[in-house]
Amino acid sequence: MLTEIEEGMTLGPVAKHITQETINLYAEASGDFNPIHVDEAFAAKTPFGGTIAHGMLNLAYVSEMMTSAFGENWLSGGKLRAKFKESARPGDSLSVSAEVISLEKRDGVSYANCSFECRNQKGEIIVAGETTAKFAGDKE
Amino acid sequence: MQDKSVSYAELAPGYELPSATYELSEALVSKYLRAVDGSGDGFVPPLAITACAIAAMARSLSLPPDTVAIHASQDLEFLKLVPIGATVECRIKVAQKIERGRMSMLIMELEILDRGGERVQTGKATIALPS
Repeated sequence: MLTEIEEGMTLGPVAKHITQETINLYAEASGDFNPIHVDEAFAAKTPFGGTIAHGMLNLAYVSEMMTSAFGENWLSGGKLRAKFKESARPGDSLSVSAEVISLEKRDGVSYANCSFECRNQKGEIIVAGETTAKFAGDKE
Repeated sequence: MQDKSVSYAELAPGYELPSATYELSEALVSKYLRAVDGSGDGFVPPLAITACAIAAMARSLSLPPDTVAIHASQDLEFLKLVPIGATVECRIKVAQKIERGRMSMLIMELEILDRGGERVQTGKATIALPS
């Protein structure tokens, strides 16, 4: 967990490799067996041309990065807004990073506002958005 | 909870899907952490709880044949630490249903409560349904 948070500092990166096995494991863990994720024959006939990872799997990596940085302040009090822009596919290598955009203090509590993105190995943005987390600080 | 109990046509703003209850057992959390290649810290990862809610939502909806539902956006707020072994209830309702040309969008509100009725997580999911 970070002990000091400053504007402009970067979080991450968290690097992950996506395989069909990863996607299948996530389907089993979450109970989301949408065929676009797990049925290669079905997915091949869709505009995606093949299976794609669950958006929530990609978002889990964002949460991992935020938990590493903010610990329990992320798990209780964290907020996020995410847009799924592209699909992650088996074989993709993802990298999640964030930047602290601003710090603020409300009702005596310090918050860090961050922007994050998850990119694949081609540099395409898979997920992007904003997060907010409490932290122990004295910034006004 | 019944599976595939609500057709897309029946969905209207304010419609509440059947609530779903989950025991966030050590086995479930371990399976989740293995899937996301993560490490545990004694609490249920908040996205594991969201994943249960999203899956409950998917199972409750009966979409037109061959429809590919795409998760377009997700807002979340984590309100309370959830210990491993806790039981939570997921409540989901339709906030908006938007028909725009060949694209339909469902905006669903999620509310997850613990056994004491306290909210542990809230959120909003946007699901795109290209025709």
